[in-house]
Amino acid sequence: MTQRHTTRGAWLIILGSVMAGAISVYDFFTPETGLIGTGGVELTGIAAGLMFLAALTMALKPVRGSFLQGFLVIAVLLDIIGSSVAGYFLESPVIMAAQALALIGWLMNVIGDAADRSVETDEVEDED
Amino acid sequence: MKTKMKILGLAALGAVAACTALYLTPMGATAQSMMMAAADSQVWDAFGGNQEAQKYSTATQITPDNVKNLKRAWSIHTGDVSSGNKATTWGATPLFANNTVYIGTPRYRAFAVEPDTGKVKWTYSANGNNKPENQGYKNRGVAYWQAAMPESGKTCQKMVYLGTMDGELHGIDADTGKLCTGFGKGGIVDVNAWLKTNSKWKIGLIQPPAVYKDTLILGWAGNDWVYKTANPGTVYGIDARTGALKWTFNIIPEDQLNSTGTANVWAGISVDPATGLAFLPTSSPSPNYYGGDRLKEMPYVTATVAVKAETGEVVWSRQLVHHDIWDVDINSAPTLLDIKKDGQTIPALIQATKMGFLFVLNRNTGEPVYPIEERPVPASDVPGEVASKTQPYVAVPRPTIPDTTPPVSKLADITSFGQCSRWKARLRDEGRYTPPSIRGSISWPATIGGVEWGGGALDPTTNTYVVNSDRAPQVYTLVPRAEANKTYGDALRGKGGYAAQAGSAYGFKLENFLNMWGMPCWEPPYGTLLSYDMNSGKLNWEKPFGQVQKWGFYMPESWGSITIGAPVITKSGLVFIGASMDSRVRAIDLKSGNVLWKAIVDAPAVAQPAVYTYKGKQYVAFAVGGNGILTPRLSDQLVAFALPN
Repeated sequence: MTQRHTTRGAWLIILGSVMAGAISVYDFFTPETGLIGTGGVELTGIAAGLMFLAALTMALKPVRGSFLQGFLVIAVLLDIIGSSVAGYFLESPVIMAAQALALIGWLMNVIGDAADRSVETDEVEDED
Repeated sequence: MKTKMKILGLAALGAVAACTALYLTPMGATAQSMMMAAADSQVWDAFGGNQEAQKYSTATQITPDNVKNLKRAWSIHTGDVSSGNKATTWGATPLFANNTVYIGTPRYRAFAVEPDTGKVKWTYSANGNNKPENQGYKNRGVAYWQAAMPESGKTCQKMVYLGTMDGELHGIDADTGKLCTGFGKGGIVDVNAWLKTNSKWKIGLIQPPAVYKDTLILGWAGNDWVYKTANPGTVYGIDARTGALKWTFNIIPEDQLNSTGTANVWAGISVDPATGLAFLPTSSPSPNYYGGDRLKEMPYVTATVAVKAETGEVVWSRQLVHHDIWDVDINSAPTLLDIKKDGQTIPALIQATKMGFLFVLNRNTGEPVYPIEERPVPASDVPGEVASKTQPYVAVPRPTIPDTTPPVSKLADITSFGQCSRWKARLRDEGRYTPPSIRGSISWPATIGGVEWGGGALDPTTNTYVVNSDRAPQVYTLVPRAEANKTYGDALRGKGGYAAQAGSAYGFKLENFLNMWGMPCWEPPYGTLLSYDMNSGKLNWEKPFGQVQKWGFYMPESWGSITIGAPVITKSGLVFIGASMDSRVRAIDLKSGNVLWKAIVDAPAVAQPAVYTYKGKQYVAFAVGGNGILTPRLSDQLVAFALPN
């Protein structure tokens, strides 16, 4: 079932993913980070790219099916969790901060969406 | 609701900005007034800091209180780094002498740089056409000598010596970087020319020579594991001015040259300036893992041997591993000290070993200061082999590693579906000195140590000794010749860690005890740093040291890291050390063992740093080369740290 979903928080997720992606690229090419050329930052870079695409979809395509909505919400959360763990073991505070930002965006999105659903339900009930 | 979300978003952005700033800003840029050092210039003119291999600096400017402010003073890249089958291994210690930092590189070059800026004064190349003959491109730096009474107007009164992996020793004028033509033939001594017996390969001059007055004391590295008979170990005394051979010390008895070889001195050599004794750590004879063909006594192998530095005459020797079939070379320069014990001052040395023992000997007589027991050890079950019935054991100071193999790691075992425990069950494992076997044995410790070639550092004012030690069992398997020939043909080396030991009854396989994911099959820690009071022999503290870094991910600090390289100590109560698998260098509180400062460098700094003072400012310099044994990350960085102005 296609519905309009909130875009709230999506831009924060995008910001978080851009930050994580940028620092991953920086880490990958900079000897002073201790992470130059490592698979770990390749992983966080790829994860940041996927998160960016997912969040962009959330922002630009508010009208979407419930399956896509569920997929995006779960995928972004898993991405945040995985990248946070990776950031912790990479000892990269920027990657972790970016994930914190994305998590706030994700919460805003989920809570906002639930709030909107609630308002719509109330409106329907009022009409009754 | 929207307002709250905006506030939350702004707060997150603030936190992110703060973290970013912390991440990108150089550590501790607070300017502090610096205490002027007592001396304007403190040198580091030998591999071990001094000829006694104490790795100690009297510098006091950097202290446990201000070390957190330490920052990079300068960094250069020599350009001498390569990977793959021409991989470089750089374990050099920078020298500071003649108001210059000197260092050698694994592509046979010497650099002279300004100590406060890193600006290159001169470079010398020992011929780019040199090819690695046996162990690849390796270097542990250069040696420095200067005439006691320099003649004015003459060059080469101060010299730097650079070895190559094809056996050449180059004598270079320390001021100009030009070859000293009066040294050897046109400035080069071909050390290979002195070694004619069983010459299977060109010798490698990885380790710079020790210097005593006008004599260079030079050992060499060989190509282990591949032949039964090979170049027999020799140490040379060389005239520092002319390169003329003064003396040769033969480690292997002449009547056994048809059945063995090597037992060379490939690690550092220390010298007692007061007595003129040089202390030689000798390595394992060939074939390294099967001794059935070399059952006769060879007292100078896997031993510490004291010789007169000017003549090579043996004064005493003490064998520290009998009939070595584990390749546990005595692999570091003994550290000299004067022990205060029972109201007496004893001239002593500490010989750290791969077996994890710290042998403390009277350096004038070789007699133990702390008791050495001969303990029974497991017998060999390999046809033809007769393992020694006993081996030396030192209880005090406490060994750097436990007597028994660490238990199987539950994490590694579970994640590999029981691979680790199944593998271990198939192997012979009776703790230290379990002989190699045909079914496979866990060697604990293995050839990687225990204590590696850097040895330890000493604060001679308190006789506090600090040493890094590895905990890494490996799997040793002997392969009967017929089977080896069938599987590997005539190859000297092959897959699965195979080495031929050609000419003997067995080939050999060395495998790392790792599961299918590359995780160590044994419980951490993988490496520790230990501090001892050598006056009492008591352990002050032991802490896991370093961090394992895999794919960029740092493993917990409590796991420690395998280390190669060594610590140094400063009078102000600090230990500086690189050595670990992560690309970090650290400063540690000598009293507590706590890490007080760390910085990221380009690769593992698998060497020992140098500490020097120039124009009143203290520097700590690291050669950052990496080592393929630990991680594939290699570099050519020479970096110095100092307090900000």
